[in-house]
Amino acid sequence: MSTQAVDNTLEDPTRRAPLVLNHDDFTSVTEEICRVNESPRPPKAWYVSIAISSMLASLFGVLILYLVFTGVGVWGNMNPVMWGFPIVNFVFWVGIGHAGTLISAILFLFRQKWRTAINRFAEAMTIFAVVCAGTFPGIHIGRVWLAYWLFPIPNQMEMWPQFRSPLLWDVFAVGTYFTVSLLFWYVGMIPDLATLRDRACGKIKAIAYGFFAMGWRGSMRHWHRYERAYLLLAALATPLVLSVHSVVSFDFAVSQLPGWHTTIFPPYFVAGAIFGGFAMVVTLAVPARQWWGLKNFITMRHLENMNKIILLTGSMVGYAYLMEFFIAWYSGSLYEIFAFVNRATGQYAWAYWLMAFCNVAAPQLFWFKRLRRSIPVMFFVVMCVNVGMWFERFVIVVTSLSQDYLGSSWGYFTPTWVDIGMLVGSFGLFLTLFLLFIRYLPVIAMAEVKAIMPQADPHAHGGHGEEVKA
Amino acid sequence: MPSLNDSKPTGQAYWRSLDHLADTPEFRVFMHREFPAGASELLDSADRRHFLKIMGASMALAGLGMAGCRRWPQEQIVPYANRPAGRDPGVPVQYATCMELGGAARALLATSHDGRPTKIEGNDRHPAGRGAADIFAQASVLDLYDPDRSRSVLREGKKATWREFTDWASGHFAGLRDSRGHGLAVLAEASSSPSLRAMRRRFVELYPRATWHEYEPLNNDGEVEGARLAFGAPYRTHLDLAHAAVIISLDADFLGVHPDALRHIGDFAAGRRADDAARTMNRLHVFESDFTLTGANADHRSAVRSADIALVAAFFAARILGDEALKRFEEDAAAGRALTTELRRDLEAAVTDLQAHRGSGVLVAGPRQPAQVHLLMHLMNEALGNVGRTVAYTRQPDQPGHAESIHALAGRLEEGTVQTLVMLGGNPVYNAPADLRFVSLLEKAAVTIHLSDYNDETSQWCDWHINRAHYLETWGDGRAWDGTYSVCQPLIEPLFQGKSALELLAALTDDGFATGQSIVQRTFTDMVGGENGPLWRQTLHDGLLAGSAPPKETPAVDRGGLHQATQALFARWSASSGGWEVVFSPHPTLYDGRFANNGWLQEVPDPMTKLTWDTAVLLSPAAAEELGVSRGDMVRIGLADRSIEAAVMIQPGLPARSVILPLGGGRAFEGRICTGAGFDFYRLRTSEMMSFAGGATITKIPGSYELATTQDHHTIDVETVAGRSIQDRLPALFREADLEEYRHHPDFARHRTHVVHRLSLFEEDLPHQAGEGDYAWGMSIDLNACVGCGACIVACQAENNIPIVGKDQVKRGREMHWIRVDRYFKFAERSDKYDPNRVQAVAVQPVVCMHCQNAPCEQVCPVAATVHDKDGLNVMVYNRCIGTRYCSNNCPYKVRRFNYFDYHRRGPLRAQPGRLLQVEDEYFTEKSATPDELKQLQFNPEVTVRMRGVMEKCTYCVQRISRARIVAKNAYAQLPQAEKEKRKDRRIAIEDGAITPACAQTCPARAIVFGDLKDPDSRIAGLRRHERSYEMLEELNVKARTTYLAKLRNPAPGSWDGAGNGAAHEAPAHGNNSQDGGGAEH
Repeated sequence: MSTQAVDNTLEDPTRRAPLVLNHDDFTSVTEEICRVNESPRPPKAWYVSIAISSMLASLFGVLILYLVFTGVGVWGNMNPVMWGFPIVNFVFWVGIGHAGTLISAILFLFRQKWRTAINRFAEAMTIFAVVCAGTFPGIHIGRVWLAYWLFPIPNQMEMWPQFRSPLLWDVFAVGTYFTVSLLFWYVGMIPDLATLRDRACGKIKAIAYGFFAMGWRGSMRHWHRYERAYLLLAALATPLVLSVHSVVSFDFAVSQLPGWHTTIFPPYFVAGAIFGGFAMVVTLAVPARQWWGLKNFITMRHLENMNKIILLTGSMVGYAYLMEFFIAWYSGSLYEIFAFVNRATGQYAWAYWLMAFCNVAAPQLFWFKRLRRSIPVMFFVVMCVNVGMWFERFVIVVTSLSQDYLGSSWGYFTPTWVDIGMLVGSFGLFLTLFLLFIRYLPVIAMAEVKAIMPQADPHAHGGHGEEVKA
Repeated sequence: MPSLNDSKPTGQAYWRSLDHLADTPEFRVFMHREFPAGASELLDSADRRHFLKIMGASMALAGLGMAGCRRWPQEQIVPYANRPAGRDPGVPVQYATCMELGGAARALLATSHDGRPTKIEGNDRHPAGRGAADIFAQASVLDLYDPDRSRSVLREGKKATWREFTDWASGHFAGLRDSRGHGLAVLAEASSSPSLRAMRRRFVELYPRATWHEYEPLNNDGEVEGARLAFGAPYRTHLDLAHAAVIISLDADFLGVHPDALRHIGDFAAGRRADDAARTMNRLHVFESDFTLTGANADHRSAVRSADIALVAAFFAARILGDEALKRFEEDAAAGRALTTELRRDLEAAVTDLQAHRGSGVLVAGPRQPAQVHLLMHLMNEALGNVGRTVAYTRQPDQPGHAESIHALAGRLEEGTVQTLVMLGGNPVYNAPADLRFVSLLEKAAVTIHLSDYNDETSQWCDWHINRAHYLETWGDGRAWDGTYSVCQPLIEPLFQGKSALELLAALTDDGFATGQSIVQRTFTDMVGGENGPLWRQTLHDGLLAGSAPPKETPAVDRGGLHQATQALFARWSASSGGWEVVFSPHPTLYDGRFANNGWLQEVPDPMTKLTWDTAVLLSPAAAEELGVSRGDMVRIGLADRSIEAAVMIQPGLPARSVILPLGGGRAFEGRICTGAGFDFYRLRTSEMMSFAGGATITKIPGSYELATTQDHHTIDVETVAGRSIQDRLPALFREADLEEYRHHPDFARHRTHVVHRLSLFEEDLPHQAGEGDYAWGMSIDLNACVGCGACIVACQAENNIPIVGKDQVKRGREMHWIRVDRYFKFAERSDKYDPNRVQAVAVQPVVCMHCQNAPCEQVCPVAATVHDKDGLNVMVYNRCIGTRYCSNNCPYKVRRFNYFDYHRRGPLRAQPGRLLQVEDEYFTEKSATPDELKQLQFNPEVTVRMRGVMEKCTYCVQRISRARIVAKNAYAQLPQAEKEKRKDRRIAIEDGAITPACAQTCPARAIVFGDLKDPDSRIAGLRRHERSYEMLEELNVKARTTYLAKLRNPAPGSWDGAGNGAAHEAPAHGNNSQDGGGAEH
């Protein structure tokens, strides 16, 4: 198994570019992917990263305790800006959680075979991002111990939640999304878990993998049921990709606050979420393929495809930014016009222009093939997008709230160290979960990858198969 | 609790309770206390004084309806077998009392909940306030429960008792009596109390060689001296603003810090209603340095240095009195420069106005101004025929001025002729003129005795500190500004066994009448000429003695001193006209600093600057630009050989080179509230320059200081988009017109904004909006009446258990006030730009919850914690609230307040600058399991005390609504059946006016009206139909229940700069007479 450089990004209309490099048979694929879980010692980078990220995750936990015992005043939230970092972080993380299911479900339904190399960890990323996202609305409320009142639990007072509130829709939307994503991820993982079970050398491992593999034996019937289930889940998950962030955007769009009350929000949020999600996938994929030697599976072609999506969705987001201005002007409403002019020129102009640079300007580099195939450029751009997408939510939440109708009530939001600590801490939680996932679960969907190799379809011609020797 | 098994009293068959069996100390106390409090003490025959006290209290209980005069919370809960007459547990009772401040009494009604005074309101029978109370009186109830109050007598700083003091004093003062008071001096606060005056006479009789001095840092020496110049005797000026058509203020803040401000506000507002057929209203011209409340309400305001007010007065006098000598001011080159073209135009307009309204105009000069300005004022009022119509006088006792008096005392102390100094209140170490160096003077007296609420700056240097009783704890009396007599009646026994000035004087004069009550009653008897029990009880009940005000006089003004006065004035002006001017001004919320440890008053924003928790150097934007300073920068101000360093606050509308220094900050007393609040400007104030002085220097120094405001959290420069935007949207939010426009277009307010559409996609007539309930509550706020004093804020705070949050939290915009008074400056436009140096007008707008029928907050709450009741109230269910804060985000008026912390359980922490991790200081210290015990006593039991994490907001005082409804329902239930059946609508009517929310109750301008919109005859329904009625942000279709009446301004005809001329009001795209847009429903 050689790892010589192969350029699979060339477009040759007569043949399809291979999606798996340097592999002729299934065994070597299994070997290479399972090595990530089976090698006795993970790379040093793993230890360093998990040390840092688990420290940050603990910081997150400690800060949550501090928050619960002291009061939400430990944050910078204030009178006009009642929602600050926690909600910004929530929307940010929910957005990150979009790419996974999009790759898994929509690309699956569209038969985009290149998805197989990245779908597993994109889905994992989704789950972990939604975990982070779900934490924030739970702890941001004033009386955390009563968060369960958000759920429609029958009670002696016959008190139901208020179904007109977008926050309640959020509870359902995010809850459904999380459940379906988790199921989708888990169901897709069953054949691979069985592989790990079969190869396990320790008893504990065998039992653990065996438990989750649910007795998978690889029989025809299993495969048949499995593929049906996977297809159905994909169909179920597809509308959710669109609905979750649409519903999250209703938190803003349904209110009457200038800068929030905008009909463009649902598609704009979805595009933004896909944009941010793909950027995060690339952010994670680049180091992961380096450290665990997965370059044969997550090839430059994969990265390039994702970069193209980033360019597309980034431009959609840019269009939305412009359209907001147009509509504000077109509305003729003093408050509406002010909300947007003020975003670009007011006290938070720095955040607005940082966002515009990161989300609209930076991805334009991807018009150039050379740049979108360059790892450093790509990494720079996706880091920009990560920052920019966080600031997009900051701009929407904070600038709109800080200066609304009555000039007397305006204020300027300043985060506290707890705000910043929690933002960093949530990254810690996310990365910790992700690093544990890489170590203990199959990072690449082996069964699916094998299905798109030419060997899986010996009678076909011109499929993704023959390697193009560069 | 001790173990029950260990039962010592064997053989006893029955126990009264398990506690008796357990024989706990609590139980013993309870046994001891089973009979009414104090009864057990009766058995102690040793204490004669105590016996008298209890007898006094019993008398009060028996005859005077003083059932509330006890401290109930210390008792165990013992249900009554027979309820005492006149006492319904849980039903609050109001008692009339009064509070003295700066030598004038405020007549009040104090609410007592089961023996705890909880709220102060104005006495509605009293002519001065007519039910209103100012912020000082309202907040004084918090002082009663101030945990920092001094709790005992102190001897050289060590705890002592009143008994020890009287033992010591009887010896010491016996010696003084022998020497007929040689070496004895008394320093008292200004007081109008007839009893104190009587005690003073006794004191002086007993100690004829003693001297009596009076000092108030905020005094009206200039006014009194001016009256002396004019009439040859001290007279007090009384204004009748209700009948004034033209009012000229010469540096006088008669609507702000003035002992009679409540009457002035009421009359002023009444004179502006423009409800008569001809739609007339008064016109106010203000010439002042500091931007005061009075200036904010002016139709024409000119920012003039306090020194230059002399020129303004002379300008008026020259024209009105036609005196040639006065013209020399104008002829003087420097004076000519000071009288700028703009100012001259304003002056001419004012003079024309005055001359056109002879007999219905009035000139008022401020206490800051020298006597000569007052003389000119008296002369002009007389010449214009205003005396007897809009101005009247009452004779005052002849005594030296305050500055002179304390100066004399200082001289005697300096000489060493005073060995014993008795200070009845006051805090001279803090607020005496700085050149006297009062601390070093105190050391020269052998014995110093200080009666004070706190162990404050002065007490700390004194040999004896006597803890003073709060006015709600003690008997006293006083006269209002107009001279009406009121008795100060206690509602509670002294919490810390404090003494009043009367009681201290009684002890020092060995008066047989030792209790405040007997002293006051003696005075009363002397005053009404003999025992008159019914009249005494009537006076106590009403809170005033009818007809006790001295008759108004119209003494003739002596013109003889005019020339001399003019010369003196000119000399004074020349001396103080150069350089930077410093102006010492009373603090609108801290007064002279005595309220600095009152959390409500620290947190209620200054009406103009909106600054809380601080005093700062106020500079105009032009001056700030000249000095290169911005808000929060530190400056050094030098005056003569003194200098101080303080932070800058930028205040538009000040004269360019005038520096306003509000007094009352920088207390050195370590109270938990006042520590670190503001800067002490008394240190610049000398006996020569008590009010203002020229020739000061001001320089920027390194460093900055954080200031916390409730509005404009960061300076909003009108040059920025945000600043311009506020100016642009003001016409729609705060609707106003000139009187002239109002006459032609009475419904102007409805056409100020173009309501695009009010059609909704949805079915909106939900049951509560259709008005399913019996009532439809609504509120109307008359912007034309409101002067912006902020009394409503404190009233609401007291009524609704609203916590203070501290400077750090205000800085973060987390103040909890349910009602706020928005203040906007309207800047003049110059070449398409707003000029921050030219304030055209001020808009003040109280904002409460609008109780929208189509409430945006209700739609978004996920747990239905804020809902509508059937009477149309937008109610907040604290128990249900989980604190998502979405409601506040969706509230266009931003009236919702969130409990970020358990504010009731935290001390009002102050920011510790320069600390990165502020965990302890910010959030943990002084946090206790329950609110402070003392503070708890103030709580209104009818209002929930909110915990952290819940949202709250104005409820329209729902507890008051409920109370009125219960009364109405009870009355209905007692009607005969036939009577009930006769009622067709089956609606239990609540009389209009039976419900007044706390804000409306205390509003001196009567700007806030509350009532039932369903009752077509109610005042509120009438106001809703009023042509000036409008709904703020009506384009959002929230259907607010709180509406406003638009403001009217009355600029002089043809004036160059109408304070609010029509052109300035037109928002972009809105014509004056634009039709309401399609679908408008009216």
